[in-house]
Amino acid sequence: MLLELDNVSSFYGRTQILRNIDFGVKKGSCMCVLGRNGVGKTTLLRTVMGLVDKMTGTMTVSKADVTRARTDERAKYGLGYVPQGRQILGNFTVRENILLGTFAKTGRDGKVPDICLELFPYLAENLNRRAGELSGGQQQQLAISRALAVDPQILLLDEPTEGIQPNIVAEIGETLRMLNKKLGISMILSEQHIKVARDLGDQFVMMDNGRIVEAGGIADLSDEMVDRHMTV
Amino acid sequence: MDISSIAFANSLILGLSIASIFFVAALGLTVIYGTAGVINMAHGEFIMLGAYTVYALQAFAGIPYFLCIPVAFVVVGAIGFAIEKSLIRYLYDRPLDTLLATWGVSLVLIQGTRLIFGSEPKYVEIPQFLSSNIEIGGLSLGVFRIFIIVMALLLAAGVWFVFYKTDFGIKIRAVTQNREIAASFGINSGQVYSFTFALGAGLAGVAGALFGALNIVLPTMGMGYVVEAFLTVVTGGGALLGSAIASLAIGELQSIFALVTNSTFAQFLIFVLIVVFLRFRPQGLISASGKRR
Repeated sequence: MLLELDNVSSFYGRTQILRNIDFGVKKGSCMCVLGRNGVGKTTLLRTVMGLVDKMTGTMTVSKADVTRARTDERAKYGLGYVPQGRQILGNFTVRENILLGTFAKTGRDGKVPDICLELFPYLAENLNRRAGELSGGQQQQLAISRALAVDPQILLLDEPTEGIQPNIVAEIGETLRMLNKKLGISMILSEQHIKVARDLGDQFVMMDNGRIVEAGGIADLSDEMVDRHMTV
Repeated sequence: MDISSIAFANSLILGLSIASIFFVAALGLTVIYGTAGVINMAHGEFIMLGAYTVYALQAFAGIPYFLCIPVAFVVVGAIGFAIEKSLIRYLYDRPLDTLLATWGVSLVLIQGTRLIFGSEPKYVEIPQFLSSNIEIGGLSLGVFRIFIIVMALLLAAGVWFVFYKTDFGIKIRAVTQNREIAASFGINSGQVYSFTFALGAGLAGVAGALFGALNIVLPTMGMGYVVEAFLTVVTGGGALLGSAIASLAIGELQSIFALVTNSTFAQFLIFVLIVVFLRFRPQGLISASGKRR
């Protein structure tokens, strides 16, 4: 396993959010994290990044124990994070946002990585534009680009299609497919669009109330399961 | 009231000089407050330490004044770094505690300096040419005041360069805008805060090296400058450009008010104006970050 969580629980203050999570991502695979709003999907990704107040259990990346590692140290194990709501730095230029990602990269040369420019030509043509001026879809491209600048082993994508126009959703889905299937970048994808999850995913975990309640290959994700755990 | 054009021009130049002093005094505080949100009550004492560093270097090692300025930056920066590592880092996100702790630090620094150097005033020597005056068309200004204006411009350019043209600057601005996201991309915010605090303290040290030559050097000399620094930073909003505009506005207005009234009433008017301004724009002229997380 490239990334493994063993009996992980996590907390914000004294409030426990995740309960006894066992979870693994194989090299080159895409793991979909599914469930309704508020079941703990975002907290699961934030736990992997070390962005919760407290975590118990163990976490490894490429067999290295990172349980006690700070967020900035975890990022250097090759975790490329695309947070919910994008969280690009609005006062930064496009170039500076992408360069931010390179601080987690080993062998940093201070240049915008080629892959970021090739994948998103609009960003390449607007490197000096203020990121806050970009549209939602362009900001999502920038958030993905910033995570790619880490030269990641694993991309952690927290609802990358949330609030994006339908035509851009397909475009982003296609980009993620290419990154996963052609470049072999592993992914943890938290997603509400079940079609995107089915298109991209190899495995899935279904969450409810901070626990994993179903898990398996994406082919095992039945409509009945989706209705039971994802329909409001 | 008849104010001659020469008197008015003199007043504008004096205003520029006051503005440069306000700006130099506020620069370090701007860096620390704008980045980490720390209200550093010991800022005036960092300025005082800069002045004493220059005095000590001159008195005990005979080092020339111009060489003392960068040394003051390094010495006070190192002291700031040590204080951040040993105290401030435990108090982030607790503004009241930080305020009290830095006030305590300021008292320790004043008493410590008094124990080492005594209470009697010390003097910083400057090269002869800096002590002279320049007169152009009836306008008169001390060369040392021009030197402070030049230093203010150089320091502003230096800080701008660090913030906007270096990797460290990207790190500082990223941590200021969104600490979680900065950390998620490999930036150690604790380390950034330590070095930023050291940078701010070092800039205060440079301010002290300048002000020590402008006035006498005393353990309590920082108390006056810290008021000017806070006025500038709060009015400016914590951003570099905000502090530059605020110091220019305060300096020029104070000088013009002093011309038409007197210096005491001018200061009173400035304080009133700042209070009224902050009543309607509490975030200051230019906020350092939209939302510090």
